Amino acid sequence: MLVLLFIIFGGLAIGCAINVVAQRNPLYCAISLIGVFMSLACLYLMLAAPFIAAVQIIVYAGAIMVLVVFVIMLLNVDEEERRNIRMGLLVPAAVILAAALIGEVAFVLWSVSPNPTLQPSDVGLTNSIGSALFTSYLLPFEITSILLLMAIVGAMTLARRTEVLPPGARVVPGAQLLAVSDLDPSASHDVQTPIKSDSSAEAAQILGIVDRDQSKRD
Amino acid sequence: MEQILDIILRFVAITVVFTVVLLIVAYTVLAERRILGLIQGRLGPNRVGYGGVLQPFADLLKFILKEDIVPDKSTRFIYFLAPVIATMAALMTMIVYPFGPEVTLPFVGWTIPLVVAHFDVGLLYVLGVTSVGVYGIALAGWSSNNKYSLMGGLRSSAQMISYELALGLSLIGPIMLAGSLDLTKIVDMQSRFHGAGWLILLTPLSFIVYLIAAIAETNRVPFDLPEAETELVAGFHTEYSAMKFALFFLAEYINMFTVSMLATTLFLGGWNVPFAEDIFGRGTILFALVSVIGFLVKIIFFLFLYIWIRGTLPRFRFDQLMNFGWKFLLPLALLNIFITATLIFFKPDLGW
Repeated sequence: MLVLLFIIFGGLAIGCAINVVAQRNPLYCAISLIGVFMSLACLYLMLAAPFIAAVQIIVYAGAIMVLVVFVIMLLNVDEEERRNIRMGLLVPAAVILAAALIGEVAFVLWSVSPNPTLQPSDVGLTNSIGSALFTSYLLPFEITSILLLMAIVGAMTLARRTEVLPPGARVVPGAQLLAVSDLDPSASHDVQTPIKSDSSAEAAQILGIVDRDQSKRD
Repeated sequence: MEQILDIILRFVAITVVFTVVLLIVAYTVLAERRILGLIQGRLGPNRVGYGGVLQPFADLLKFILKEDIVPDKSTRFIYFLAPVIATMAALMTMIVYPFGPEVTLPFVGWTIPLVVAHFDVGLLYVLGVTSVGVYGIALAGWSSNNKYSLMGGLRSSAQMISYELALGLSLIGPIMLAGSLDLTKIVDMQSRFHGAGWLILLTPLSFIVYLIAAIAETNRVPFDLPEAETELVAGFHTEYSAMKFALFFLAEYINMFTVSMLATTLFLGGWNVPFAEDIFGRGTILFALVSVIGFLVKIIFFLFLYIWIRGTLPRFRFDQLMNFGWKFLLPLALLNIFITATLIFFKPDLGW
């Protein structure tokens, strides 16, 4: 029974993992990766580590991959074009790494003999993880939380840059919020009167704003 | 042999639970339409069967018979996958909720716990499976290749990620008091004081935060921005028709049911009916029956609350939604953890 389940979920994990690499559409890759995480969670469950299984699903499948899918959807990445990647050094590197992996697996299979006196362990249980985190590993735990806090603060400072604009800032429809003086110091348009225009290009012309992206493209 | 029997029994139990849940969900839809009619001063559907009792089946028949239209430029595989994910994630959480006490069958003397699967980290399982449900909506919005759908999908992902935090933190209160992630243990812990030791009395703040975050998680009014029909046609399921639309519809109502079930289990004592055990005695069939009915009544109360809120409140704006979630609910949930911890520290006998 357990062997059957192991074969099912192990096979699913391997199949999904191959699919992650083989697919060209990034969204299909992401979905396959979710499949890998799910099957891994099922394997953890079979190893009597329900807490790790649940956290695997909540953190990886439920949070991180949602963000990945979110980004793929927002950027609207199309299928990767088929192109000739210069293999060069990559081929021998891949061969060496594959050989190392196979050797490792062979070593594990050779050195580990089926042990009839398996001790039931409580490694994956909520209780043991909780008590370990708050006693023997308290310092690393706290340091990690400070690290995460720093990451949050960093993300916020990066995202809130628009706050430092001067009060004379203008909004061009469809463009980023920028001050006139930032873009073109020589433009002496008076900042009080509102501009009337039908399109963003026209408004930019009146304000004397040069579309830098446009000039880069030309 | 015994193992096979056990597996068969579990499948039977799952089938029974799913059938009952789907029936209740079908009638929730009818109840919603009738109650909304009452609130808005009209009748609602009352023509099919007596007072409209056959309306859900008429609707189902209509969904099956409608033409299934697939948009030309959709991403086929994901387009078909999305409603399946949404419904499956909604249904899968059903199995861990204990819906009654242990019951001893007369004559044969078997003791059966009234729960499909006893899971050591049941609460985390529920959270995990619900968080996977986001994909159904997000992928549906993306694969339809329609701007309104995409907007709906993105709004929904952002909203669900934001409110999942407040939801998760609001659950810490009951977890700390019960000292377990096991839903069965959490319910058992509330059987103290003749079945009236409900956790809502100890952590009312966490109940309020949970209730609000749960409405947002299920994309219901006033948090129904992903499918705001005045702005986005129908949001993520604009391009879905016939049975595929029905699956999304079903998923939304099953989610309502699941969320009500979790609220009942964690805060309103699960199947505990005050003083029922003193009257009927533990383990008797009558006691089990009263408990199951009590459980259902509590869930139906929450479902009614949902419909009531839908009938009376307007929709949030998106920035209001984000401000409310991050700047109000999240700090409130954190404050609640602090209060509960202080409470347990000074009165340790409150908890487990």
